[in-house]
Amino acid sequence: MNKFASGASALVLAAVCASFAQAGEFDGITLEAKLIGGQQYEALYARIPEWEKATGAKVNIISKKNHFELDKEFKSDIAAGTTSWCVGSNHSSFASQYPTLYTDLTGLIPAETVAQFVGANIKAATLDGKLVMLPRAQFDVSALYYQKDLYEDADNKAKFKEKFGYDLAVPETWQQVSDQAVFFSDPPNRYGTQFAGKDEAIVGRYYEMVVAEGGKLFNDDFSPAFNSPEGVKALNWFVNLYKASAVPPGTTNYLWDDLGNGFASGTIALNLDWPGWAGFFNDKAASKVAGNVGVAPAPKGSAGARTGWSGFHGFSVTEDCANKEAAASLVDFLTNEDSQKLESAAGPLPSRTAVWDYVTEQAKSDPYRSEVLAAFKETAKTAFAVPATPYWIEATNLIYPELQAAILGDKTPEEALEAASEAVNDMMRENGVY
Amino acid sequence: MLRYKLPPWLLLLLPAIVVLLAVVMLPLLLSLYSSFTSYRLTRPDSITNWIGLYNYEKALTDAKFWAAFGRTVLLLTVALNLEMLLGLGLALLVSKVTHGQRALRTMMMFPMMFSPVLVGFQFKFIFNDNVGLVNNALQSLGITQTAIPWLVDGNLAMFSIIFAEVWTSTSVFAILILAGLYAIPKDPLEAAKVDGCTSWQTFRHITLPFVMPFIYIAMAIRSLDVARAYDIVQIMTNGGPARRTELLWTLIGRTGYVDAKMGYANAMGYTSIFLAIFFTVYFFRKLTTARTELGMGG
Repeated sequence: MNKFASGASALVLAAVCASFAQAGEFDGITLEAKLIGGQQYEALYARIPEWEKATGAKVNIISKKNHFELDKEFKSDIAAGTTSWCVGSNHSSFASQYPTLYTDLTGLIPAETVAQFVGANIKAATLDGKLVMLPRAQFDVSALYYQKDLYEDADNKAKFKEKFGYDLAVPETWQQVSDQAVFFSDPPNRYGTQFAGKDEAIVGRYYEMVVAEGGKLFNDDFSPAFNSPEGVKALNWFVNLYKASAVPPGTTNYLWDDLGNGFASGTIALNLDWPGWAGFFNDKAASKVAGNVGVAPAPKGSAGARTGWSGFHGFSVTEDCANKEAAASLVDFLTNEDSQKLESAAGPLPSRTAVWDYVTEQAKSDPYRSEVLAAFKETAKTAFAVPATPYWIEATNLIYPELQAAILGDKTPEEALEAASEAVNDMMRENGVY
Repeated sequence: MLRYKLPPWLLLLLPAIVVLLAVVMLPLLLSLYSSFTSYRLTRPDSITNWIGLYNYEKALTDAKFWAAFGRTVLLLTVALNLEMLLGLGLALLVSKVTHGQRALRTMMMFPMMFSPVLVGFQFKFIFNDNVGLVNNALQSLGITQTAIPWLVDGNLAMFSIIFAEVWTSTSVFAILILAGLYAIPKDPLEAAKVDGCTSWQTFRHITLPFVMPFIYIAMAIRSLDVARAYDIVQIMTNGGPARRTELLWTLIGRTGYVDAKMGYANAMGYTSIFLAIFFTVYFFRKLTTARTELGMGG
């Protein structure tokens, strides 16, 4: 009996060892962490005590802010040399700005663990050959939300066919989005579509449109490549919709919250947006379009490629961390299968292959959730991250005012792209990129 | 052994001097020094990379910088004058109230109690073209059928920002001018009445000269505030769209913290300080003149 009991406990111990680090392995170690804050991220942090119990280490969260604030804090930390805290929230759009801050996780995380993540995510998390973060279940790519009843209305169908010569259906190309946006617009009561109009957001939208048109934002040496026929074509998509009053006149001042609330207010027919809004749009208490929301994969540009500017959150370990093994163990724990299942249960998209299958299975009984997952899964297949240059954000700050100038009619698209290209070129040269 | 003895006044002032040097002079000198380097926040070692006047040359020859400079002067001029006129009107009205003046004074100060960030969000929503309060009201009243792009149109966007600035800070003028009104001696006012002055004459020749020093003090304080306008603008338009509302500090803030180019941002900052110094000196001169006219000495 005794023998049996000890055998059983050895089995339990083995199981614990397999899933967590060895019990007590990091006894007495305290890890300081700077993590992204917000209600939607808290559920994962509630798991941290489990890891503490299993390893004997303690986690002290010394900062909790959104990524834009964390970005400023990290830059100040690098400037002040106060980078001995261990675990930090990271984001694929920001990661390349801190080449010295984070360590390479390749030697710290087993290769078989890394192989369980979606390949494209790991590729985007690898900068200059260094795996700088492990992605959590906060993968972002945009799909097309639309108001379903607009496509079921017989009158709409007939009028659309008469005007454009093809059947009204959920758009598969950006040209169709453009046609339909103009068709559905009835300002100020309803606009065909909308787009993020400032900061990195509009440059990201423009970037994916350039790719969908078959062009490139940067050449391989990071010299600007968007001042091209494809670049002009991409920009014209935004310019023409604005000219046609098919987007709200204030769209150049909109960021994500304005867009999400706009679609939920029922005044927008088609809306390219992030997966995080799926639940909100279909929530009767928050959204006027609840019950009437359809989701389709991101449309394709004239080159046959889908738009798919993507990003994801992850966790990184600092180069100056005194206990890198413990920190890597925590990062591993926060991105393991159980953690991703927990996070993606609330809506966000996972970054592990097995968890994608799991959430798809779980959503089978919920048609809306299944539609959402199918649309995002299809878009994720061809998604791409931002160009891996530390000067990405700085470049976007030079590009976006010029895009706005073209959209608002202050400049022609050619003039705007010429000015933006020249400014980015000067900036890259000044920074010694080439 | 020779022992130096510090004079007592210096000894007594020494703690204050040390503190001031440490918390004011040191950061100022450091930022001044960094404006001559290619300092980037993300590359701490670049603080030793001396590049002379390059950052200043770049700022002074940058059309975007001068456009932002000009826009800041415009905002300053329009906002200060409007705030002064409205504040004066408000103070004159409140000074005539006999009952509930205290409650009115407190209410008048409400806008000042809001954080500028909150004021920014409030007006961003009010002026939103699609779901905003103003457009909805105008459309419901049948005044317009279009969605007016308050925060996008170049003139309207500046108007909206000035509106928010004026809303939040008119009470600074009102409170200071009200203090001035209370300080006016009664004799000249009564004498004017006896001599048959109209109320406009009394206001123009007695009340106004007495409150002018208070107006100039408020102007000096607010000019420093507005020359540094950042939070409200950052939230409402972030200098956009297409740089139509770009002010000095939205440009400098973005360059320093988002682009991480602290050396260049500091160079722009030091150039902009001249604007603040100019207005402060100007208003203090005016203040001295106004005081001399009242016989209060220079």
